[in-house]
Amino acid sequence: MQDQLLSHGVRVLKGLGLNYEFLLAASERAAFLHGLVVTIELSLATMFCSLLIGATLAAMLVSPQHWLSWSARAFVELTRNTPTLVQLYCAFLVFNMLLTQALQSAGGNPLTPFFWVVTVISLHKGAFHAESLRAGLQAIPAVTLEAAASLGFTRTKQLWLVQFPLALRFVLPSLINNLVDLVKMTTIASAIAVGDITYESIMIWTQRDNVLELMLLLLLFFGALTYLVNLGGRWLERRLRMPGYGQ
Amino acid sequence: MANDVLTAAVWPRVLPAVVAAVLAALLLVVVSGWHPTPLTTALVTWFPALLWGMLANIQISVLAIALGTLVGPLLGVLQLSPVTPVRLLASWYVQLFRNAPALILIYFATYVFPFELHLGSHYVNFPDWIKVTLGLALPASANVAELFRGAIGSIPAAQWEAAASLALRRRQIFSWIILPQCLRRMLPPWMNLYATITMSTALASLVGVHDLLDSAQIASTTVNRVDFTIAVYFITLLLFFVYCYPISRLTQYLEKKYAFV
Repeated sequence: MQDQLLSHGVRVLKGLGLNYEFLLAASERAAFLHGLVVTIELSLATMFCSLLIGATLAAMLVSPQHWLSWSARAFVELTRNTPTLVQLYCAFLVFNMLLTQALQSAGGNPLTPFFWVVTVISLHKGAFHAESLRAGLQAIPAVTLEAAASLGFTRTKQLWLVQFPLALRFVLPSLINNLVDLVKMTTIASAIAVGDITYESIMIWTQRDNVLELMLLLLLFFGALTYLVNLGGRWLERRLRMPGYGQ
Repeated sequence: MANDVLTAAVWPRVLPAVVAAVLAALLLVVVSGWHPTPLTTALVTWFPALLWGMLANIQISVLAIALGTLVGPLLGVLQLSPVTPVRLLASWYVQLFRNAPALILIYFATYVFPFELHLGSHYVNFPDWIKVTLGLALPASANVAELFRGAIGSIPAAQWEAAASLALRRRQIFSWIILPQCLRRMLPPWMNLYATITMSTALASLVGVHDLLDSAQIASTTVNRVDFTIAVYFITLLLFFVYCYPISRLTQYLEKKYAFV
């Protein structure tokens, strides 16, 4: 039943001049669907790690300890002003190579390309999150912090229990913006042959020469994914809204 | 006093660049030990090739932002058009190309555009780097359109009315009063966009354009030494940083300067 529907759909599209016959070949369809899942996994893992890194870097940026805030600042500037693909090559072709050499006797390198993509994009987007969060942290009125201090909150407790929850609400729109960029950035995983949707599409179109058709699918897929991220962001904004702020 | 504050604010941000440059120089000196080693000889041989590669990146980014800046304002105005189909089409274009990943657009431009153009009886080559430029000009134009629309929207309506009450025509109001303010407001985000596009040009190496990253890869496989591979990729990173960091600093300066105008 499903197969019939699929082949009928493919025939209709063929009539329109679009060649989606790869969907009828079981192996290619499986590869494409697998790529889809890998991209979603990649996005979710990277979002989580990037937010963790962003929060840590933001805390370092506002730290009164100069060596902490300066090293965080240097890292953020270096990361924000260099292309992610070059960072990925530095990580994968340099660090990963050195690691493989070092671990040759110890049974090989356990780190996969997937791991390196998650690491590099998380660090890259973490720097962007950190900049947004820092702005939010610094926008918190001094009286709020004084009030917290007078209630016996230590500096660390002030940061995590007072400043961060407020800053998160202030900068949520820009964090969501960063996450949308992050989803789009996962396409560079194809450069080091992680089997994400872009990579699988390239494999299919080199065989079948149906670039335009796959391109449309990719654009639709990423459109849907970024739309979902936006939707999630709006939901969070509503959920975390504080009375007395905004509309 | 004011000067002290300025120095205190600027210095921590300039420092990373200085530290990075000094560290890179030190690394080179220490590794080379002042005598020419195989590493330094290879670096000296390949450095001009890297710079030529970087020129391709700069060329692509400048052309892409120029095309985007020419087309973008038009799209921004069309998005405000009273004719519904025009408005919808322009909005769809902007939405589509702002939300599409840059890599996909580069593949799109490379594979979907023809490899040569048929002009009368001539066949004109359509090289890959121009296709990449067009691929990057698409999101650039969509982003400039949004910047332009946002800037026009940020000028208070009272200014249009005040100018109209001084008997200026709509066209005069737009070009003498609204546009100069829009341009000033657009400048910092426009420069941000340019830096983003410059960093996206590294993707061109994936479709076979001979750019900085491609040169680095060729150099690394040709020389085939571990220390050279490490050095060449970090020099690539550093070259991009040296180009993009001053732009980002200037953007931050302009943002502060125009913030309360």
